[in-house]
Amino acid sequence: MKWFIIFFSLINLSVCIYEDQIGKFDWRQTYVGRIKFAQFDTVSTAKKIIVATEENVLAALHLKTGEVVWRHVFENASPGNIHLLHVGEKITTVTGDNPMNQSPTLSATGVLMWEWTLMLQDDSRADFSEWWVQNGMLVHMLPVFNSHLEVTMYNVMSGSNRGATSKLPAIWNNEGQVICICVLTAPYYTCVSGEFGSQILVSMDVTANAIQMISKPLSNIIEGAVGNLRALDGNSVIPGFIVDDKKIVLIKENDFNVLNVKVEDTLASASIADGARGPLVLQIWTNYAKGYQLIAHTLSGQLIPEIHSPDSFLDIPEPELLAVTCARDQLACRLLINAADDAVHLVQQGGVTLWSREESLANIKSVEFVDLPVSDADAALESEFDQKEGSVWWSFVRRLQSQYQQLSAAVERLRSGEVLDRGSASLHRDYFNLHRIMVLVTEAGKIFGMDNLSGSLVWRLYLPTLSGARTILLRRAARHPHTAMITIVGTHTDTGNGYIVTLDPITGRMVPEHTVTLDVGIMQCMTLQETGDDQLRALIVLDEDEAVQVYPPSAASLVHNVHMYVADQDTGRVRGYAIRYNGREAVAERTWSMSLGGSGPARIVAMSSRSRLERVRSPGRALADRSVLYKYSNPNMLLFVVEKPDPTHKEVVTAVVVDAVSGAVVGASSHRRARALPLAVHADNCFAYLYRSDKHRRVEIATMELYEGKDRWSPAGEPFSSSASWRTPVVERQAYILPALPSAAAFTITERSLTDRHVLLGLSSGGVVEVPWSLVEARRGAAGEESVLPYLPELPLTADRVLSYNLTLHRLAALHTAPAGLESTSLMLATGLDLFYTRVAPSRTFDLLKDDFDYYLITIVLAALVLATYGTKYLASRKTLKMAWK
Amino acid sequence: MEHTLNCKTEKYCPRGSISLRSIRTGTAVIEQVNFNKKHISELKDLADLDGFYTIRTLVTTSDSKEVEFLSSVKAKYFLGSGLSDVINAWVLPNGEVMAVTFQVTNTSNGNVLEATDAEYEINSKFYVNHVDQAPVPDTATYIQKMEREREAKEKGDLKDNRPFYAKYWMYIVPILIFVMISGAANPEPASQPSR
Repeated sequence: MKWFIIFFSLINLSVCIYEDQIGKFDWRQTYVGRIKFAQFDTVSTAKKIIVATEENVLAALHLKTGEVVWRHVFENASPGNIHLLHVGEKITTVTGDNPMNQSPTLSATGVLMWEWTLMLQDDSRADFSEWWVQNGMLVHMLPVFNSHLEVTMYNVMSGSNRGATSKLPAIWNNEGQVICICVLTAPYYTCVSGEFGSQILVSMDVTANAIQMISKPLSNIIEGAVGNLRALDGNSVIPGFIVDDKKIVLIKENDFNVLNVKVEDTLASASIADGARGPLVLQIWTNYAKGYQLIAHTLSGQLIPEIHSPDSFLDIPEPELLAVTCARDQLACRLLINAADDAVHLVQQGGVTLWSREESLANIKSVEFVDLPVSDADAALESEFDQKEGSVWWSFVRRLQSQYQQLSAAVERLRSGEVLDRGSASLHRDYFNLHRIMVLVTEAGKIFGMDNLSGSLVWRLYLPTLSGARTILLRRAARHPHTAMITIVGTHTDTGNGYIVTLDPITGRMVPEHTVTLDVGIMQCMTLQETGDDQLRALIVLDEDEAVQVYPPSAASLVHNVHMYVADQDTGRVRGYAIRYNGREAVAERTWSMSLGGSGPARIVAMSSRSRLERVRSPGRALADRSVLYKYSNPNMLLFVVEKPDPTHKEVVTAVVVDAVSGAVVGASSHRRARALPLAVHADNCFAYLYRSDKHRRVEIATMELYEGKDRWSPAGEPFSSSASWRTPVVERQAYILPALPSAAAFTITERSLTDRHVLLGLSSGGVVEVPWSLVEARRGAAGEESVLPYLPELPLTADRVLSYNLTLHRLAALHTAPAGLESTSLMLATGLDLFYTRVAPSRTFDLLKDDFDYYLITIVLAALVLATYGTKYLASRKTLKMAWK
Repeated sequence: MEHTLNCKTEKYCPRGSISLRSIRTGTAVIEQVNFNKKHISELKDLADLDGFYTIRTLVTTSDSKEVEFLSSVKAKYFLGSGLSDVINAWVLPNGEVMAVTFQVTNTSNGNVLEATDAEYEINSKFYVNHVDQAPVPDTATYIQKMEREREAKEKGDLKDNRPFYAKYWMYIVPILIFVMISGAANPEPASQPSR
């Protein structure tokens, strides 16, 4: 019995991939998001930095490496908002928006110790409430402008209130119109009060038993001040603030103390830290010419030359001090710096960056897999076959030449002792084209080039004015001798107009001649199928004035038979445009329009078009009676999932398949009492979308497949034309229950689409599951069919189908797939708070030898066979000789 | 229903009207203008440019709300089909019109109209398509099927209460035969007579 238990527990271990395969084809990177609060954990023995982020994550970062030691992901959006982070012996946070605030306390190892709920009565001014911890009490302060301050104190351990809320009279506190004039530097609350010109700086210790006010005319501090107050950053040890970005004012011994330290830059971030020679005033800023700068003074205004930074060793846009710690015995400080590009750096005063984290990768907007360029030797081979002219002799000579080149290159490599490096270090295409550069565009406007095999960043580029971007590949690296080019189409943050950036995805260098700032907003954009002489596909942009712009403009003559659609997400109206070249310029003509929600209000929740990389493998599928069911292979189809309020059924979800060229509705179906999820996928003739059924309180996946029927509409080989077809296909539909809540969906894509197609679902529980299309296909359960599975209403999500095995990927936002050079394999990147990359082989790796393929055995067997052949030959000849002698 | 042909100043001018009697049955009355020579020549000009013949439909609902729909066909194909088109109206379950689309039928015959006659009739077919209810995960029949299978199994168990020999005779008989044959092939040597 005991042995049986051990035996079965062994079996349980080996579901999913084998244990030794973990990390072989996949990697995961954990991120926390843009950091809001940070504090050095100096109490516990393991040195950490505790951070709270705008993604509602509380995490501990390793002081030496910057890796995430532990991480708690709170709820999304407002219930998980972190308002306070206090690190003492324990970590105290206040999360959630009013009127429900949670105050969990965690131990230094990240274990939740207790949690209690605060209920605030008045949530109308809750935006202004402030929290801090003082002497084991959690203080909540709520300013009521022009009247008083409400201060409530709670015991951090128990959550019990110290009695009633105290109301401190403070008619001087007011809400600034444009500038911030009230600031909390715990425990002091400071405001600028009075008319312009005769302003008084008023401050008050909010937690003191006796009310003590400090006041001083603002003109004593700075002449002609506007009165803009900014608190010191980085958990300053002495409460203080900066007036008008010019003077640092500290509150010491109940008095304002104006420091004799010049604020070096209007955007400089300053903090006071305890150092070896008493408190230090640290300032950091970025100089346009010199880069990141650090300067330190004593409180008396004396410059400390030991603490500085060398010129231009780091480029940190708009640095902000998050936390500072200085050594007690020597002049050495460590600064945790937040930048405008969401990166966080731990910098030592000498100018050494201990580590940097690119936290903008927690918010990826768009992903593109780019092929690497072929190596020089392969390129030479390619160019050899490219040449069409010349006789047989010439090509023979060329062959010999290139062979000589290869040989000399190999000899050279051997001589220099360099090993043939096919690893991630060389950015050249590998044999199966599995090695790519992933171009990641983040919400912060930072663009990364990432190696897909190792997950390391190859290049990074920060464009502060870029937002809402989407990537378009203009030229693949395959087009030797040109370099690849990728275009990022986004909006300019300042104007909201179009902003087109073109880069080389391998090196990350901008291509200035293809980088344009438009003076109108962009409605839709696409690339042409035809390429110009330079192998560049032109970018067509439809702007908000319904005018067409073609980049580069010389490619305008290539525009013909181009159709675009524009969908308005909030009204459900979809318009189609035909774009033509009329001899002078490309013009757009509105050809069709429809309103997917009828006359009433409607919202397009999800939309899916066919992937650019998608191919159709076969025109139909064989049935049991030896006939063929032909697929409706229209490459121009779009799937819209529309949610619409309905008087009788609450919400109605309608899925509409539209031909983008002619505007014809190809198929449609509706679901009553359902809420749409923003997930829809489309490939070939298959459509799938997800919705939540309010009636049954569950998530369902609906699939559609379009078929022409048993007869072909057009002869084989004839290209499909949307404008010439008028017949509507047969729509097969089916729905299944999904026993999970998905947050992302994608189809696997392979090079020739010969392999099975799987639906990848990212679940809110943190797993990526692959569901074979045969499990969700619309014809499942068709009567008398042997090739389809019998109908099962609930989809089984078995553990061996989880691609992310036991990893939990928090807040999965999207799945991106790309075909590899191997037909069996599809590359997948899951984005969200974490990045997870793996390979998917929907039909197993039929074109690859197994990992554990025994090369030695087969070599030994072959060698033994050869030996045996020669041995028996020798023996046989001896035997015949002997026979002859007899 | 308006189109872009032979309009003097405005972009669109009336082509005809469709009045739908009943959404359920889809019966409708179509009234359309006939095309004259001017229409045809303009259509031909469009076809030469590979242009679009655009039709604008204004749908008036019962509560007199107007919704505009656009649809286009290639003028070339419209001429080629002999001015015959298919009008598809898609109606949502609550009776609102989602789309009105025009498509050209049968483009293959290819006989381009010669502007000889004075007037041409437009050949339109009108269909009302309903956005129908999608299937829901069919748990009921699945449970029924499971139940039937279970019942079948139970029935099978009940039926099979034949006696032991009746059930397993097919295994017993070959063994018996084998034993008999082997017994016949090498008969036991006769026991030695006792002395």
